[in-house]
This record gives sequence, structure tokens and C-alpha cells, in this order.
Amino acid sequence: MVAWCLLATSIALCVIGYLALTVQGAWFTGARTLYVTPRDLTVTRGSAQLREDGLVLLAPDATGTTLVSLTTSLRSSDYPVIAWETRGVPDYVEAALLWQSDYQPGRVFNRRLEVEAGRIQPFSLERDPNWGGRITGLALGIKGAYAEPIVVRGAAAKTMSAREIIGERIAEWFRFEPWNGASINTIIGGADVQDLPMAFTFAVIVAIAALMYSVLARWRPQWVGTSGAIVVGIMFVIAWLALDGRWQWNLARQVALTAEQYAGKSWHERHAAAEDHAVFAFIEKVRAKLPPAPARVFMVADEHYYRDRGAYHLYPHNVFFDPWSNTMPPASAVRPGDFVVVYQRKGVQYDAAAKRLRWEGGPPVAAELIFAESGGALFRIL
Amino acid sequence: METLALSLGVALPWVLGFAALASIGWPRAEPAGTALALRIGFGYLVGAVLITMWMRGLSMLGIAFGWMSIGIPLIAVAAGLLFYALRSQRLSLVDTRRALVSAVSPTLPSTQRIVWIALLAWLALRFGLLAAEVAWRPLYPWDAWIQWATKARVWYELGRIVPFVRGDEWLAGAGGAYFDASPNYPATVPLLQVWTCVALGRWDDSAMNWPWLAMLVSLTVAVYGVLRGEGVAPLIALLGAYFIASLPLLDVHVALAGYADLPMAAVYTLAALATYRWCLRRDAADGVVALFLALACPLIKNPGWIWALTLVPGVVIALMPRRGVRVVVIGFGLTALIALLLARTEPVVQGYHLHLEFAAGWAQLIKAYFLMGNWNLLFYGVIVVFALGARRLLERPLVALAAIATAGLGFLFFVFAFTQAGYWLADLTTANRATLHLAPLLVTLAVLTWHRLALRTGSLGEGSAAARTV
Repeated sequence: MVAWCLLATSIALCVIGYLALTVQGAWFTGARTLYVTPRDLTVTRGSAQLREDGLVLLAPDATGTTLVSLTTSLRSSDYPVIAWETRGVPDYVEAALLWQSDYQPGRVFNRRLEVEAGRIQPFSLERDPNWGGRITGLALGIKGAYAEPIVVRGAAAKTMSAREIIGERIAEWFRFEPWNGASINTIIGGADVQDLPMAFTFAVIVAIAALMYSVLARWRPQWVGTSGAIVVGIMFVIAWLALDGRWQWNLARQVALTAEQYAGKSWHERHAAAEDHAVFAFIEKVRAKLPPAPARVFMVADEHYYRDRGAYHLYPHNVFFDPWSNTMPPASAVRPGDFVVVYQRKGVQYDAAAKRLRWEGGPPVAAELIFAESGGALFRIL
Repeated sequence: METLALSLGVALPWVLGFAALASIGWPRAEPAGTALALRIGFGYLVGAVLITMWMRGLSMLGIAFGWMSIGIPLIAVAAGLLFYALRSQRLSLVDTRRALVSAVSPTLPSTQRIVWIALLAWLALRFGLLAAEVAWRPLYPWDAWIQWATKARVWYELGRIVPFVRGDEWLAGAGGAYFDASPNYPATVPLLQVWTCVALGRWDDSAMNWPWLAMLVSLTVAVYGVLRGEGVAPLIALLGAYFIASLPLLDVHVALAGYADLPMAAVYTLAALATYRWCLRRDAADGVVALFLALACPLIKNPGWIWALTLVPGVVIALMPRRGVRVVVIGFGLTALIALLLARTEPVVQGYHLHLEFAAGWAQLIKAYFLMGNWNLLFYGVIVVFALGARRLLERPLVALAAIATAGLGFLFFVFAFTQAGYWLADLTTANRATLHLAPLLVTLAVLTWHRLALRTGSLGEGSAAARTV
């Protein structure tokens, strides 16, 4: 009971302290956060394309400017923060927030935005003297060229009220984190970017509760008893369980997805249903043309993943592939009777009339095309 | 039928290891519940290593892998060892049954009993979810299919171990040898996958990963047994075991099975805990188990021999009760000095360039340990408990285990600060996986330290009484 009371008090203190530091404007407001989808956005300068993952900015205009705008009608006092949700913004471009208001209709105001890890950071306008009246238009301006497309997934006008901040933090913690290529190395524990990581928050809550306990145990032992290790231990376990609850929930959601994709399927069908089914299907066709294992096979592809994954599916044939870089085997190492599997690789040429296979850095070798389909082929060295 | 074959495939190493441990009378002088937990927990990993050693032997003799060459003889060996253990009264079926009943329905105060059952149910749910991932997901993580399952596939299909060689050797025409991304990696993990496929009767790159779940379960049970063996109350021991089973990154390595980091973590942790038991008890059977598992470390991953060496400080302290701590401290100092000198010459050891890199992305490491979801609250808890219990860690009984953990942490620091692994901290590809090897041991030591702290304040008086009834 003591542990629960101390934890509850600590949670209350932490929440109030955090809100005192982060709330901008009114703590409680009737206004709700306004979300803008990519469909609501217009690109007035530069070229862009609306895709499933958002508005993709392809290139700036001739002056090196890209401008994404939208028409709004929001009360500036209700919305002290504007957040653009972006990906792939390079550090070397300049990003700015532009707006117009009915307070000074003829003027366009702008403020420079910070870019961190490819994302434009939310911007607070609470103390900006020009953020007044009704905001009639917002825009994101990007100055400078960019090699890779920038994705704008939307924008939000935030109230930064207590309810919104707490809701956002909880939403970040409980954002579903599906398996990806990096999962085996690291687990984020919720949204990719978190203002207040859950593990850190719970550690602080337990630390403050433990501090309160030690103070009370010193000055008011009759209130909390003297079983310090037990009380602090219980608080630690409760915090651990809370974090573990989130993790178990995430795992359960992942299992539901995995079941939908793979349950009830054979080993072969599971690979055919996987995200990389195309390379698996291609290698299955190659395998059907190969003699019984083990044949000597060279696997080449431009993409690191396809090269390595294709090789994996070729075992137990005696496969050679470059696990680290996109190289071709030396022509001198290729022998008659060997096979070469080419999958989505540029620079490999086959002269069907002369039956010659050629790639960079070596003389042509005599080879026979056994099988080919769009993007891939199997050759036998003669 | 396949489910039965697969179950037998997972059960055989477990029964073999259990029988081997029971036949040598390990652990001695423990209550039935504790002894059972230790045998079940250590049994799987001991059996898994034994089965792969058997497979190496078969391959050397030119005998093809199959049920007849692996399954039947090892079932016979396990049965023989069990029979011997029963005959020699090193194993009691009555005690075993009683211990199993008390695990499900323990004699505890009602609140603790509810928590006990809830924790078991929560753990069962966790293992169930992980089992679903293992069963359904085709081999997923990168290294699993460029350096581990490559060998498993070839050895399964050919029915024997064939060599894997470096790319230049392969290109030069090494007759019959194969190539993959890491041809010099040890055979144990792929052999375990081969055995599971042999048991199943066909290649299946999902089903071959059931041993990873078995390892997590066995590690969990083993830690419970070790904690009980050190007098930790049943509920606290179960919580300690639960902390390990609930470490998110450990769970990921089961769900996305196929890497050797979880096997490395499990074997090293159990080797360290068996060493710790030997240090305290000087029982020959503990020594045999510790030595066996320590020697198994390099069979799992190449750095395993360094992990095995980190056990030495614990042994030194046990063998030199008076001067052990001083000797170990001097040893740590000398090792640090040698590392610093080596770093100046920038040599290459096992493919790693040694070079001091103090700016090696430590911020990323802190992020991985304290801010992200990899380790729950492990490092917060460990730092606080070790700070508060620093004196306990320098005294018997914890000093030996503390010395082992310190050596382990030193090794991790060395890897991050002196090799190019430091650069990999930046993208977090290695930091967490390297830490995974040590994390279960840190949890166990933290729980033992907390237990000592609680004993000092007298908080556990009632709990200890309850402990004796389970």
C-alpha cells in the first residue's frame, strides 16, 4: 500500500512538473489539435507527387525554392505550435514556416525551422508578436536543392494544452512498432521519435517515489515502516511491469500480423507470402533448372539484400556471393559447368549469338542462357 | 505427427541434459524444488551442447545425420542415465512430482500466491506469443541467413558437416568446401538447427528455431533455481527469473530467432552461475558443470573464449580467499594497461582493429541502455542496486560473481572503446547484441545484491520463512 501511494504521488508530481515545463498557452482549452493530411496541401513552387506515404517533394523550382501551402482559418491564441510531419529533409537545406493572418492581411511572416534527423522540428509561436488574430494560411518553405525526395506526411496545429500533451506522450509510447530489419539490434519502445521516452519517465517516477520514501522513513517512519528494500523493490517491479505490459501488447499485435501473413502455411508458402517473395520465386525457378545439389553457383545482384537473400535460397548448392559489396567474381575463377545467377544487376551483358557472357573487369566467358525473366537470368558456363 | 517429431526434437536435448546432470548427482544438497529447477534449467543447454558434440563425432566418423544415428542412440543414453540416477537415488520421482505440484500451487501467503500465479500466467502468455512467432515467421534477421542457417541448410541436406572457407580460398577452388559470410564461425548453433530439422524430417527454416524458445525457457528456470539455491524467497526468485524473460531484446532474439547471441548469453550466464555455485560450495559436480559450460562458450561464438576467461576472476577469488580480491584488482589493472598499450600499436586481433576511441558514440550507448525499449529498466536498477550494495559486492558470498560480472563489463567496455565496434555504436548494430551476452548475469547479480540488502535490513524475515516451505 505504501508503495502504491508513493508511486501515485510521484506520478502526480511528475505529470504536473512536466506539464508546467511544456504546456504553452492555456492548460485546459476546448480547442482540438487540427491535423492536415497530404491531400489538403498544395505545392505552389517546385514539383511534387501525392503518394500513399505522403506528399513527395521531388525538386525545387528554378530559384531553388519549394513551397507547400494550405489555407486555414484558426485562432492563433488556440494554437501556439505548428508541427510539420516530414521525412528525409537534408541538413543542408533551409526550412521555414510561413503564415498570413487577418491581423495584417498583406504581410507574409516567416520563421526558420530546425531540422533534426531528417525531420522538421515542431515550432512554437506562443511568444511571437506576429502570431495573432486568425491565421488564414500556412506554408512550409524549403530553400535549396535536395538529392533525395522529401516526404511531407502532414501538419498539425497544436493546442499544447495539458490534455493534448499527455495524449501525445501516451500515443508515442503505445505506437505500434512492427518488426523491421533493425529490430534484432534495437527496440525503440514506441514511436520512432519520442519527446519523453517511457523507460526514462518510469525510472524518474520510481526515483522520486524512492526519494520520498527515504525522507519519510527518516522523519516519519511510523507512516511508511522500515522495509525500504521491499517498498522500493515493489515500486521498481510495478514500473517494470508497466513497461513490460506495453512490450507484451506490442508483441501481441505483431503476432496477430504475423499470423495473418503466415499462419497455416508450409515453409515454402511462408516464403512465397513474405515481403521478398519476388526474389524467392525467382530463385525457385532457378533451382528448378539447376542440376541436383551441389552445383557451383555465383549469385550477383546490385542490391545487397537480394544478393545475400538470393544466395541463401540457393543453398545447398555451393554458392558464392559477395556478402558486403556489389562485385562480380573474377572471370578467372569461373569454370566450365559453373552457373551464374544474375538478379537485377546492371553491367552484365550476354551476347546470345556468340554465347558470350561479359561483366566489368574481365574478358567475356563462354556461357549458355538457361533461363531468363524480367530482371533475372541463369547462365551456365561452357 | 510433425508436431510430435518436433516436440521430440526439442525434448531430446532437454532430457539428455537433465539425465546427465541427475546422473552426476548435480546439484547436491538442494531441496527438491530447487534441484528440479536447476536440472531443468541447465539441462537443455547441457543437452544441446552434448547433442551437437555427438553430431560432430558422427560427421568425423562419416556417419550421416538421421534419427537412427542421433535420436535413437541419444534416447538410449538419456534413458540409461535416468535409470542410473534413479537407481543411485540421485533422482527421485516422488520428489520431482512434489516439486512440480508446488511450483504450480505453492505454499505461500495468499497475496504472494496470487502474484505467483499471475506471474506464471504472464510468463506463459509471453512464451506463447514468442512460440507463435517462432512457428510462423520464416527466417528473418539478416545475419541468420548469411552466416548461420547457410551452414545448417548445407549440413542438413548433405547429412554431415562440410567445411566452409573464406572467399579467396573458395575462388581458388577449395574442393568441396562451401562459402558464406562468416565461414569461421563455430558449428554448434547450425548443428542445433540441423538436429531440429532431422527430428522434423524435412528442412524448415521456421521450425528449426524452436531451440531459441527452449533456451529462453531454460535460462528463466535456471535463474530461478540458482536464486532459490542462494536462499532467495520463491516469489523474489520468480521475479528475478521473470526480469530476464521479459527483457525486450532477449525476447526479440527468440521471436526473430537465428542469431547466436541468445545461445551465447544463455551458455555464458549458466557457466557463470555454475562457477559461482562452485566458488561457494566447492562441490565437484558444480565444478564439472561450470567447466563444461565454460568450455562450451567458444563453441557458440568466437568471442566465447573471452567470455569464458571472464570466469577466471571468480575462480581466483574462490581459490585465494585472503588475497583473491587484491590479485583480481591487480589483474584488472594490468589488463587495462595492456589494452592501452595495444591500442597505441593498433594491432588486429580476430579481425578487430584495436584502437582507443573514446568518442565512440557513447551517447548512443546511453540512449540504447536508458532511453529506448531494449532493456526495460535493467540498467537503472543495476546501477542503483550495485551502488547501494557496493559493500556487499565486495564480500562473500557475492564477491566471486561480482568479479565475473566486472570482468564481463570490462570486456564490453574494451569492445566499445578499443575496437571498430565503437563505430557500430553509432547505428546501434552491435551495442545491444554484445550487451545481451551479459544482461542475464547482471539481472541475477542485481537480484542477489538486493536480496543481501533486504536481509541486512531484516525486510525478508517473513519471506524467508515462506521460502523454506516451497
